[in-house]
Amino acid sequence: MNCDDLEITSPLYLYDELGAEERAAFEAHLAACAACRTRLEEARRLRRLLSQSPQPEATPELLVRCRQALDDALDHEQLGWRSLLRGWMWQFSAVPATHAVAVLTLALFGFLLGWTLRPRARSLPPVAPGATASSFVGPDLGDVRIRHISEVAPDPQSGGVRITLDAERRVTLEGSLDDPRIRQVLVDTMRGYDNPGIRRDTLDALRTQRDNPAVRTALLYALRHDANAGMRLEALKTARGMQWDPDVRQALLGALEQDANPGVRVAAVDALVEHAQEEGMNETVMPVLLKLAASDQNPYVRLQCQAAVRKMEGNE
Amino acid sequence: MVDGACLELAGKHETSREGEAERALIRRAQRGDRSAFDALVRLYDQEVLRLTLRLVRSEEEAQDLYQEVFLKVYRSLGRFRLESRFSTWLYRVVTNVCFDHLRQQKSRSELPARAGGDGELDYAQALADDRPGLNPEQALRAREISRRLEVALRQLSPRERMVFELKHCQGLKLRAIGELCGTSEEAAKNSLFRAVQKLREDLSDLV
Repeated sequence: MNCDDLEITSPLYLYDELGAEERAAFEAHLAACAACRTRLEEARRLRRLLSQSPQPEATPELLVRCRQALDDALDHEQLGWRSLLRGWMWQFSAVPATHAVAVLTLALFGFLLGWTLRPRARSLPPVAPGATASSFVGPDLGDVRIRHISEVAPDPQSGGVRITLDAERRVTLEGSLDDPRIRQVLVDTMRGYDNPGIRRDTLDALRTQRDNPAVRTALLYALRHDANAGMRLEALKTARGMQWDPDVRQALLGALEQDANPGVRVAAVDALVEHAQEEGMNETVMPVLLKLAASDQNPYVRLQCQAAVRKMEGNE
Repeated sequence: MVDGACLELAGKHETSREGEAERALIRRAQRGDRSAFDALVRLYDQEVLRLTLRLVRSEEEAQDLYQEVFLKVYRSLGRFRLESRFSTWLYRVVTNVCFDHLRQQKSRSELPARAGGDGELDYAQALADDRPGLNPEQALRAREISRRLEVALRQLSPRERMVFELKHCQGLKLRAIGELCGTSEEAAKNSLFRAVQKLREDLSDLV
């Protein structure tokens, strides 16, 4: 391998795309050539630079917007002719081509036979009384989305059909936040719903109820366990306004010690310092602050902890 | 076939149980079960959005591409065969959609390069970089690097850009990238080399 070869293969070396032999040849040349070592070091710096620059990240809000727009587009898609065609095509895609041709030939033959033998002058029998649209039994399907159809049973006697299906219906609940039923739905949503945008809206709605025991539990649960850092941060901000007690203190301490997001950890420091005068803070919070002031992996969190320690010591 | 790199780099180390659950979802979605399709989307959509956003660096365009990808998947899911990996098939759709978009973007001469324009808001500049630990000077430098990187990336051809992003950001193997882009591993290597050379020239004063 010469210097030109090394120049060409250096991106592959840095991105770990060389085979063992090529890598060995590359490194052998590198060991003997100072100019190539310098060039490779430049290439390494470029790679580090590219890796360190901030990348646009998909925010939960953008994800929610995308999902909603896709949902609408799919609703529209399901109503169109494509959906019918696709459903029909899918039936055929599951059978071999020869079988499909045979089925189509038989269907065509049957159609031609039926057409040839069709009654020429007789009109269709009148619809039996009771078999009109007025015989429909079932709920209004206007706002229902069908999830699963378990049975379609034609009835040759009446000319009707019975369809058994599972459906989900969109319902709107309205009521005061003081209504326990409304509150329960919101609390369940905040704890278990998978859409972070909706969880965030729910948290906003519940903010004023933060001292209600069920809401309080849900907020502290979100602070400890929500998968989304933005949600944890919002829950933490709300927790700052809660009536102070050991549960709140413990949740904030947990966030400070264990949250993976440095922004949440910093917000936890601020919240704890606000309550520096409260009973038990020196025994429980100070040791944690001292530990993180020395050892948190994030320098900004370390700085904030050091400042908090000074502030709490000043309050003594 | 593309190796498993795609799946692993999408953050999904597929166990056999998860694989079977995914196949069950696909079968239900192929039969027209919308909730199964929605669940399938949720398995991959964050990764798809992240990739499209990195490629186009515009939330609005990324949202359009996200929708185009999943509508294409929805329309052609009936033709998907369960012998191959869904993630590979999905990534091929993503790659095709993004590649077409980048080509169109490149050919639209009326669109100026975003960064360095006269007062036009540059997406990279608008990115909030308020990571704890960054002092104002570091934050300013990070923004400057981001802006310069944006300009440099826009100088790459669509294929170079695609190969570079899939390699540098997604960490895919070049063999897999070649498959996804409908080209050979050798061509993907050449594209990566050209991309890195161009970036090195454009960003040499920052290195």
